[in-house]
Amino acid sequence: MFDQYLGISPKSDLLLLQMLGEKLHKRSFLHVSSTREGGGVAEILQRMIPMFTEIGIQARWEIIEGDTKFFNITKKIHNAMQGNPERITKKMWDYHYEINGKNADKLDLEADAVLIHDPQPAPLIEFKKSGLWMWRCHIDVSNPKKEVSDYLCRYCEKYTAAIFSVAKFARKMGIDEFIVSPSIDPVSEKNRELTDEEINKTLNKFQIPTNRPIILQVSRFDRFKDPIGVIKAYRIVKKYNDCILILAGSPATDDPEGEIVLNEVKECAANDPDIYILLLPPFSDKDINALQRVAAVVLQKSLKEGFGLTVSESMWKGKPVIGGAVGGIPLQIIHGVTGFLVHSIEGAAFRTRQLLNNIEMAKRIGENGREYVRKNFLITRQIRDYLGVWYIMENKGRSIIEI
Amino acid sequence: MAEITNSFEFRQCVSILKSTGKKARNLHELRDAISAVSDESIFHHTYQYFLKGHILEYTNDFAHWAGESLEERALSEQLSNIDPYDFKNISDLRNKLIEVIDNYLGQFPEPREAMRGDEFCFNETVTLIFPVGTRAKNLAEFLTAIKYIDAGSIYYHFYEARMRLGGGIDDFSRWIEDYLQKKELAEKIRAIDPFMHTIEEIRTHIVETVEEEVKKDMEVVSRCLTSI
Repeated sequence: MFDQYLGISPKSDLLLLQMLGEKLHKRSFLHVSSTREGGGVAEILQRMIPMFTEIGIQARWEIIEGDTKFFNITKKIHNAMQGNPERITKKMWDYHYEINGKNADKLDLEADAVLIHDPQPAPLIEFKKSGLWMWRCHIDVSNPKKEVSDYLCRYCEKYTAAIFSVAKFARKMGIDEFIVSPSIDPVSEKNRELTDEEINKTLNKFQIPTNRPIILQVSRFDRFKDPIGVIKAYRIVKKYNDCILILAGSPATDDPEGEIVLNEVKECAANDPDIYILLLPPFSDKDINALQRVAAVVLQKSLKEGFGLTVSESMWKGKPVIGGAVGGIPLQIIHGVTGFLVHSIEGAAFRTRQLLNNIEMAKRIGENGREYVRKNFLITRQIRDYLGVWYIMENKGRSIIEI
Repeated sequence: MAEITNSFEFRQCVSILKSTGKKARNLHELRDAISAVSDESIFHHTYQYFLKGHILEYTNDFAHWAGESLEERALSEQLSNIDPYDFKNISDLRNKLIEVIDNYLGQFPEPREAMRGDEFCFNETVTLIFPVGTRAKNLAEFLTAIKYIDAGSIYYHFYEARMRLGGGIDDFSRWIEDYLQKKELAEKIRAIDPFMHTIEEIRTHIVETVEEEVKKDMEVVSRCLTSI
């Protein structure tokens, strides 16, 4: 598995990974999350665990179990941590703790290093027996509801360290706080190279013509992804450049607003034959990959965003990406170098026109973007960082460590 | 030509980012935090800016934030003009940063606030140093290696070394002078201004300079052979 990344990931990342693997050889590394399928955390852990094992670390991944009541509570906690108004009663917090306690009884939590992912299993720290415990926060907690955040922090502060995706998500908790960006897997179905035949299969499936440049946004039909803004930007571009717009996304069944937003998008598209609204079922990774590969320009015109890994996915395919300057998007797009950051519909339209009319510029930005992702946002870098944090915590107090 | 026994071992550093939890919303808070944060944090936001593959619009994170988030262009230019390699230690650099901000605040005492979510976040790093498994025994091998090693390795030997060794000396020029006895070449490499280039530009300059020297050496060898 490790070999798959040779020639793709930076050599130094692979080298350091192996060296850290030797330093932590035969040590145990436990990951605990709330689901084995669906969502970015599960997706990346499925790939990471075998790689840890391959470099000599005894990695395990455990899942906490809970009933609907538990997951309704954790959903509310999750939403409140992302800034939505939610009321979590004392009873709810007690139930959150109680279910974690039951899981602690069943799970083997003994390991040299334990990484607890997200708020759902955070109370497990209360049942720690030994080892180095770290809490990994994958969500945007830059503007959480204070009451909920304060309560959750009672658990988080008991960990030895916390890991956030973006610096501005971190808050002062009195423990070591590391910043580790999320990543994409270059050899996964969503990102691997595709043959022309595979790409054509997707194009035929959705009846997409290739005689004009394609503008693409891949995202859920969610107001924060601003699909209406994308259509408006496309209309401005269309006055000057004949092009096609594809809005591809999942229906977001867990989001009651999803259907409403989708209807608004359809209404706004007003039967324009050059706007393709594609509702992709789960596990459409290969289709998403193909669409990103045929696009001339990719948009991620979000108004609010966690990290926005779809940006890195498209950059990895050498595509020029125009992104809203929110969340983790500015970490991926260096304005004018690896893409363009925009703040308005007009900005998105202008940059799209610029890229459609200047093929050389689009090519250069696409190449820069791919290289930037290679250096910063591949899974091997994230694994390297996790092991780095573990090793650093074992050598606490030193700011320079020779391996 | 005899091979040098003291080969150059390429190493590299990788920095793992840590949050200090400190944030600044305006210039007053930035100034106060700069005076209080760790040396590691100042180091990260100034010297390590060169690790980020930047374009030379700004030269440190403070200038970047002042320009992009506060839109204080004049201050941004003044902060960008601070060359960290001019200072003997972090403390002097810290004082210079504070002096520049204080002077600006003297002229414009009510600076604007950054937008919510756009605050300056003070970070620091823990640096892991490791050998990359590449050694050069002579200048030709060095030339081949420098073309292909990771940018992080050039950062370690060319930028980070200046702090480690002091006196504006980098690992490359030191090895070239001490072990290859090529003082003139070492001086040419030392003359490349780290502050004015990205890491990739530094690589290009070193390659060009060393290539010229290797060609010169080859011409000498071929002239000797012709005379035989």
